[in-house]
Amino acid sequence: MKKIIIVEDDINLRKELKQLLETSGYEVFLIENFKNIQEKIVQENADLVLLDINLPNVNGEIVLKELRKQSAIPVIMVTSRTSEVDEVLSLSYGADDYVTKPYNPTLLLLRIGAVLKRYDSTAVADELYYKDVKVNVAKGTLQRKEQEVSLTKNEMLIFLLLLENQNKIVSRNVIMTNLWDNDEFLNDNALTVNISRLRGKLKELGYEDVIETKKKQGYILI
Amino acid sequence: MDEKKMNFGRYTLDKSVEIFQAIVITGCIYIFLKAYDSDVKLILTVLLLKSLGDCFLIFSRYFKEKVFFEELLNNLSALDKKYLVLETIRNPQSYEEQLVYDAMYEINKSMCEEVKTYDMKLKEFKEFVEMWVHEVKIPVASMTLMGENLTSDDLEFSQKINKQLRKIDHYLEQILYYTRSEYKEKDYLIKEFNLQKIIKNVVINNKDDLLENKVDIEVYPMVEEVFTDSKWMEFIVNQIINNAIKYKDENKKQQKIKISSLDTPDSVKLLIEDNGIGISKNDLPRVFEKTFTGANGREKAKSTGIGLYIVKELCQSLGHKIEIESELLKYTRVTITFGKSIYSNITKS
Repeated sequence: MKKIIIVEDDINLRKELKQLLETSGYEVFLIENFKNIQEKIVQENADLVLLDINLPNVNGEIVLKELRKQSAIPVIMVTSRTSEVDEVLSLSYGADDYVTKPYNPTLLLLRIGAVLKRYDSTAVADELYYKDVKVNVAKGTLQRKEQEVSLTKNEMLIFLLLLENQNKIVSRNVIMTNLWDNDEFLNDNALTVNISRLRGKLKELGYEDVIETKKKQGYILI
Repeated sequence: MDEKKMNFGRYTLDKSVEIFQAIVITGCIYIFLKAYDSDVKLILTVLLLKSLGDCFLIFSRYFKEKVFFEELLNNLSALDKKYLVLETIRNPQSYEEQLVYDAMYEINKSMCEEVKTYDMKLKEFKEFVEMWVHEVKIPVASMTLMGENLTSDDLEFSQKINKQLRKIDHYLEQILYYTRSEYKEKDYLIKEFNLQKIIKNVVINNKDDLLENKVDIEVYPMVEEVFTDSKWMEFIVNQIINNAIKYKDENKKQQKIKISSLDTPDSVKLLIEDNGIGISKNDLPRVFEKTFTGANGREKAKSTGIGLYIVKELCQSLGHKIEIESELLKYTRVTITFGKSIYSNITKS
């Protein structure tokens, strides 16, 4: 389980953020005392830090700068300040991403996932499989023994997301946000069409009904 | 511009007492000399010298004052910021000029102090608004997460809450950028940004509204880099997309927003076009005016007439040109033009 440290001074926000991350399968460590933040972060040995810029008595950007002297842990800056200067400063001090409040929770989770994936050295395995189907992301194809079907960019994005969360329900909202985050601005109908096409292609490979529709919840790849 | 001139006639009229006195004294001298039976030639010579002396006095004074006042008046009318005129004229020479000069200096100084007080107050107010908006965003963020954390229990309720929170956030952004545009301080940062990334951030933030309103959005690939402040630009594009959603045409089969860019030798244009209800010919020239709502705004009843005003102000500060074209019931197209700097040409070649 990946561990995320939250550095946020607002108690309510901290609590809700913790709940959101825990529901999404992360272990959460809260920093509630804002002295020597960087040392606490280093001691915790976590996988990612969500760092607020406006902290009592200290600026998140300074914390980041100090932290970078000791650790290369991924950091996502979270702030309610919408100014270019803050973003440029944060990124130049070595932040991996910069998200402004109030954030879209789904998007925040996707960004966290993306940053973690970038740093995950164990996931470099270039061979991705669903059961005995080889997923060739670069080529955009699914291959089972001799048989090969090609997927469009959208279908591939959907399939990868379902595969990543195999046996878990993925909501339409999460699929949609992921597509939009990849510059594919689909509408509701188009998403439904893409899912049924993806089902058809999986059927060609002999896997009928592996994507189930959970009413009012989303889809699940089994 | 008309050159300001000192009027000699008006000046002599002002000096009529002195002139009258000179004539009377000349007359007296004439009577006096005549009474002593002086030589005619002597009388004429004395009178001539006296008159010449008087004229010289009047003219010399006139020309001296003329130089000072004409310089003052002409510089004043040529200046955009009139209060700077004292910096442009020569140092006072005579006592009277000195008095005028000193008085004007005092007036200027006192007005500067007055303006400075208001400036400080405005600046403090702006800082307060900035701080306040950022403070309010924290509970809004908490509530957004609370809504999200509810999802598994009650999807519909959490969506409703979410929609209202998005509205609050939009209004918060509006007040923030309104104060930023009203108090022009250089608190933006112009850098080279990828246009596509700016558009994408805005589009994804409006995802739920676009889907809910069934407005399709097409974004054509953009490779252009533009010089702007990405945060300000995001606000501008967000405002335009919000308007496009608000003024969609229910009678059309599919509501659409199309975003594309155009690269020309000396500029990059960003085009945002919708197939909404459009703007009437009468209203079109006034859409950027503060608090102007027009026919559309009145029908929709919820228009403040401030959105496009802020957009225009921000574009002006950033040095972008913004234009709106529209045809009623057909389309509205907003074009934002980014200049290309010489620097960007150098870096590319």
